[in-house]
Amino acid sequence: MTGLLSSGWIRLRSVRSTWWCTAVYVVVAAGFGWLAAAGTPTSSRADVAVEVALTGFGFAQLALVVLGVLSVSAEFGTGSAVSALVAVPRRTSWLAATTAVVAGWAALLTALVALGCAVAARALIAVPGGVSPTDPVVLRELGLQVAGAVLVTVLGVGLGAVLRATAGGVGLGIALVFVLPPALAVAGSRWAERGSQALPALRVGQESFLAVDTTWPVGLAVTGAWAAGAWALGALLLERRDF
Amino acid sequence: MIELDGLTKVFGDRVAVDDLTVRVRPGRVTGFLGPNGSGKTTTMRCVLGLARPTAGTATVLGVPYRRLWRPLTRVGALVDPRARHPGRTAYAHLLALARSNGLSRARVTEVVDLVGLEAVAHDRVGGFSLGMGQRLGIAAALLGDPEVLLLDEPVNGLDPEGIRWVRELLRALAAEGRTVLVSSHLMSEMEDTADHLVVVGRGRLLADVPMAELLGASAAVRVRSPQAPLLAAALRRAGAAVTLELDGALRVEGMDPARVGDAAFATGVPVHELTRVVASLEAAYLELTGGEVEFRAGLP
Repeated sequence: MTGLLSSGWIRLRSVRSTWWCTAVYVVVAAGFGWLAAAGTPTSSRADVAVEVALTGFGFAQLALVVLGVLSVSAEFGTGSAVSALVAVPRRTSWLAATTAVVAGWAALLTALVALGCAVAARALIAVPGGVSPTDPVVLRELGLQVAGAVLVTVLGVGLGAVLRATAGGVGLGIALVFVLPPALAVAGSRWAERGSQALPALRVGQESFLAVDTTWPVGLAVTGAWAAGAWALGALLLERRDF
Repeated sequence: MIELDGLTKVFGDRVAVDDLTVRVRPGRVTGFLGPNGSGKTTTMRCVLGLARPTAGTATVLGVPYRRLWRPLTRVGALVDPRARHPGRTAYAHLLALARSNGLSRARVTEVVDLVGLEAVAHDRVGGFSLGMGQRLGIAAALLGDPEVLLLDEPVNGLDPEGIRWVRELLRALAAEGRTVLVSSHLMSEMEDTADHLVVVGRGRLLADVPMAELLGASAAVRVRSPQAPLLAAALRRAGAAVTLELDGALRVEGMDPARVGDAAFATGVPVHELTRVVASLEAAYLELTGGEVEFRAGLP
């Protein structure tokens, strides 16, 4: 497995799209977060202040959808998957290693940027008692952000494996996490609202601006189920298909 | 050793590979010949576990490919020279493959040098010519120093120097006792490379014979005499098949040059030319596959 992970990391870092996605993710998440924190002079609670500073991730995570989809679809789109599957005929292991590497990269980036956002909230937003990075509610916000980023990336990998096409995977991924949740939210009916809550919205249910609000455990479970479902379907199809 | 046992692959209503049973043995270069669309690539994909046979089995070293542990160290393959990400460097492409099979950086450098890509190893492969792509594919096949090699059209796009290099490489690998299966639709290439031939047409096995036998089967003797009709009659009486060639010489089949000469002497006719004609592989192959081409072009 070490060999497979090492191979996956070489594949990830040796294409330019990885670095473009990384740059977009970091710049958008940090930039929007700083702007939001700078525009909020005061807040009543530390977790709300941190949430404000994490706003940028709502848009930035689209870069993770693209990164996740590309990590598989680019290999198939270019035919590179044929050499990869000749070298690693255990296809589910290959997909698992690819997923672990790209999700690990997403987790690392998110942890660093989210921590930066928490520091910005502490510096820019006046909160009674201040914002302490070791405060459990602050840690929960940061942890949720990392978990959400990992799940959205895994969802992207799953969609990439199911569709094996970049355009289709990215399109469907963005529809699921970014277009449909708010579209259903504004549709207004009770069923549309339920539908919106059952979609893997960005920021695992905490995004009241872009989707119908849910509690974080529900949001995490919904996004987790979508990611696991897409990934399992992708692995199943990968095992079955001819290349 | 590569073993195909009743291998069949059907795509929709098209039978790409039809009940192929072949053993590819070590220690010699086996040429895998057939016209375009005759099922060579599909067969190789089945052997490499990329495609699932509709019926029958394909095994390498006694097991299905997908059960091999670190397969690159057992089997090397060149399937599709475009099977790589154009944005990756040649070195990164090989290193990712090497690492997935527990092979070292040093080995990557070794194969890069072996195929002569040192100068472009750190360039993106998107800019490679077809010939450079083939060399990179061969480097990937050789990465794990495998005992079995499957190469699909390895000389496609190579210059004459590259073709000679591949031929010598394949012969050297086979001489070391490895199993080498190399597909081609270029007969002339096989003639100097392969020891054994497996010929397919429309997915069916047409021949599985030593090269010499295939060439020998259509060997003939060419004889020229001012009294050709007399000689022809004598040879026919002796049991040979005789045809008149355009330049007036006789083409004799089923008799060796010595017996043709003896017959001429016994009949008392002078002989002006007596030559053994070895059929080109091209001709032998066309004879075999004549009715089995998938795409036949007409003349305008």
